[in-house]
Amino acid sequence: MSTAMSLETVTGLVKPWAVSTAASGPERIDVEVRAEDIIPAVTAITRARWGYLSAITGLDYTAPAAAPAEGAAPTEGAVTQAAASQPLGLLYHFCRDASVLTLRVKLPRENPVIASVSPVLPSAILQEREVAEIFGIQVTGITKDRLLLSDDWPEGLYPLRKDYTPDMVQKIRESTPPPSGAPEAHEKAGTFVVPIGPQHPALKEPAHFDLTVDGEIVTGVTVRLGYVHRGIEKAAENRSWIQNLYLVERICGICSHIHATAYALGVEKLAGIAAPPRAEAIRVLFAEMERIHSHLLWLGVAAHEAGFDTLFMFSWRDRETIMNLLDEVSGNRVNYSVNLLGGVKFDVDGPRRDAILKGMDFLEGRIQHYLEVVTRDESFLRRTRAVGTFPTETADLLGVVGPTARASGVRRDLRVDAPYSAYHQFPVTPVVDDGCDLAARFVVRTKELSESCRLVRAILDALPPGDLSVPIPRRIPEGEAISRVEAPRGELFYYLRSGGGAKPERVKVRTPSLANWAYVLSVAAGHRLADIPMIVVGIDPCFSCNDRAVEVRRLPTGGAPGQEGSSERMSWEELVRYGIRFYGETEL
Amino acid sequence: MNGWLAVLAYVIFPGGLFLVVGSLAYEYVDRKLVARFQNRVGPRWFQPLADFVKLLVKEEIVPEGVSPALFIWLPAVALGAALTAGLYVPLAGLAPTWSFRGDLVATVYLLMMMTLCIGLAGANTTDRFSIIGAVRALTQLFSYEAPFLLALLGPAVAAGTWRIADVNTYAQGHLWMIVSQPLGFVVALIGLMGKLELPPFDAPEAETEIVSGALTEYSGRGLAFFRLGRDIELFIGLTLISAFYLGGLANPLQFLVKTLALLVVTAGLQSLFARLRIDQTVGLWWRLGALAALVQLLVLIVLKSVGVHV
Repeated sequence: MSTAMSLETVTGLVKPWAVSTAASGPERIDVEVRAEDIIPAVTAITRARWGYLSAITGLDYTAPAAAPAEGAAPTEGAVTQAAASQPLGLLYHFCRDASVLTLRVKLPRENPVIASVSPVLPSAILQEREVAEIFGIQVTGITKDRLLLSDDWPEGLYPLRKDYTPDMVQKIRESTPPPSGAPEAHEKAGTFVVPIGPQHPALKEPAHFDLTVDGEIVTGVTVRLGYVHRGIEKAAENRSWIQNLYLVERICGICSHIHATAYALGVEKLAGIAAPPRAEAIRVLFAEMERIHSHLLWLGVAAHEAGFDTLFMFSWRDRETIMNLLDEVSGNRVNYSVNLLGGVKFDVDGPRRDAILKGMDFLEGRIQHYLEVVTRDESFLRRTRAVGTFPTETADLLGVVGPTARASGVRRDLRVDAPYSAYHQFPVTPVVDDGCDLAARFVVRTKELSESCRLVRAILDALPPGDLSVPIPRRIPEGEAISRVEAPRGELFYYLRSGGGAKPERVKVRTPSLANWAYVLSVAAGHRLADIPMIVVGIDPCFSCNDRAVEVRRLPTGGAPGQEGSSERMSWEELVRYGIRFYGETEL
Repeated sequence: MNGWLAVLAYVIFPGGLFLVVGSLAYEYVDRKLVARFQNRVGPRWFQPLADFVKLLVKEEIVPEGVSPALFIWLPAVALGAALTAGLYVPLAGLAPTWSFRGDLVATVYLLMMMTLCIGLAGANTTDRFSIIGAVRALTQLFSYEAPFLLALLGPAVAAGTWRIADVNTYAQGHLWMIVSQPLGFVVALIGLMGKLELPPFDAPEAETEIVSGALTEYSGRGLAFFRLGRDIELFIGLTLISAFYLGGLANPLQFLVKTLALLVVTAGLQSLFARLRIDQTVGLWWRLGALAALVQLLVLIVLKSVGVHV
């Protein structure tokens, strides 16, 4: 079905409740509905099986006080005054292939109440809890437990509203006594709760799960996120369009490049320009190299969760190949900083190109080996086959994305469904598996490694000639844009809104992990405790990984006091050589 | 053996100090081999000793809600039992320090004390991970212990004695029992891995699920004792199996060669497999392990009753 037809269908579906309809782009349709109609409208879309709920964006329509002059901070009074009249918005983005339907609800600022759509779409609950916390929208029918903000965050303070200022937290904390430290009663009588996290060997990044168990069998799961909530969406509103490029690249420590790409594509869409073909190809080249590093990292982590440390060690050893290539080409192992608004920063040619090709030769051989391991190793299959089974039907409905969806037989890959950047020129064959279990997730990700290697070769073989970037205005025209890209973990969703100034009005990021939690929460119950880390890791929740520090503090050598604490910078090669020398000299 | 010679045998050689040093050395070899199999560098030769000393120096935190006496004494009892078991086996290929009829059964019981103590230690605390770890450790005990004992009985039945020293002597004069009782050998070796909670039988201390299992709350001396006790069990277990199945231990050289060969095999097995879930462990032992050991023993008894000596 073409995008136009698809949009026509869905417009028909929600017509009975539409207040107004606007086509906000070639692939988008924007339908405004009243708050009380949201449930019937969402039900109609879900019944017809039109796409999936990709993201829920909260919005404050208040314009930043009369576009203040450069450098001048808006006065608090002005914002509060302007805010008084403006409504809050709630945007439900439904996606189907390339087409996006946005259901727009405007809610009065004084009393923003809306019913939860979670009875129809259980996957919406985490996103609703997010907007409830950070926008103060009262979503009826969901738990009031904190999901993202810290436990001591003051009640009634909503950080993403425009009338919020950071000093408000301090003021409220000073005026109210700290809550008494009575420990929370987690356990009801007769239940045994195993707390996993925030600090736990299975978790590489903090999160908290309360697992209710009956012996070894898990009977219930709750999740608490937000331990590393850094307020990046708010921070983005206070930075210029260009500064934000570097901010969003630091959202994730693994898929840094894809965040910057999604953001850059969105801003370019708003500004009405397109990066040159060579730049787009280089973006895709890095995206695929990043996918290789991310999937290999995942393979190791997942093997470790299964207690298969040999596979963990081997896959991470081989991952160094791709990390070194990324470092060689970009100068960094994690935050490559490839993107500019309007293009890329550097070229890939000559020796760099040869190095990448050589690395691919090695990796392709190893990937074949890993594919054999995950499909043939009997002891490993005993831990993955028929574990965490997630039927195609449910995966489709709950809007699960990325390899998690594809391993459940849902053909959902934005590189194919809605080719962006250079994916028109370098088509991808999606890897889909009908296994629906953990074993299938291993197969899908491992095969995707091969596919990424093939793409890297294809791009290097046919890198289009031309410029690397085009200029982009500092002020971005008014409007809003949705940018969706396929991160290693699945669909990454960016919603950008510009008021025509040098700073964005709203940057909304929905990472793939958030979309995939629904799967964990729905399948965990009934499994054995030993399977839970595997199930959690099955979605590849985004774990930050640290880049290596390359500053070495040299200790004063014995005898001569010398310059104490003089520091020395080492390049990556020097550090590697230093490590080998160190272990060579040390008696092992 | 009596007087100061006996004290020397208990405290310095071959019991006591030798046992401790040997066990730490074997832990090093084990760790180094696994590391090399996994393409890692691995520890330095003194690392196990350094770990032990470090843990001894550290503060021992007794958590709230435990019985302090149990908490402190269990590691000591576990270590003591392991050290005592060392007296009955032909360490370093020499005659056991102490020997009596039926010492095989006593040794197997002494070796079991470790797991019992770990189970009790876990159940003693209020920590969730410890309790689950304790339950798993004891569940595992019930699954491997019977097949393991049966597998050790095979050579004893063949030799017609339940005295370890005599089985050792018998083994030296006959066909290696790894050839005549292959099933028993496999069960005994894998049983030893289960006993020591080595991968893939490390569900009781699976760090990605239950942190450190029953020993989660242990720090300092208690943890050092448990770890050392486990090393000693590895040392004794390897000695027992090589004495029984690999043609006996006649001298220190044989001891070294045979036990290290076994260690290479266990290290290889440790790095080959993904961890088994506790239900899979139990299933494996009762469906395969116990059956294999029983079949082996039955064949042996039948052969013996018709007069064939193996």
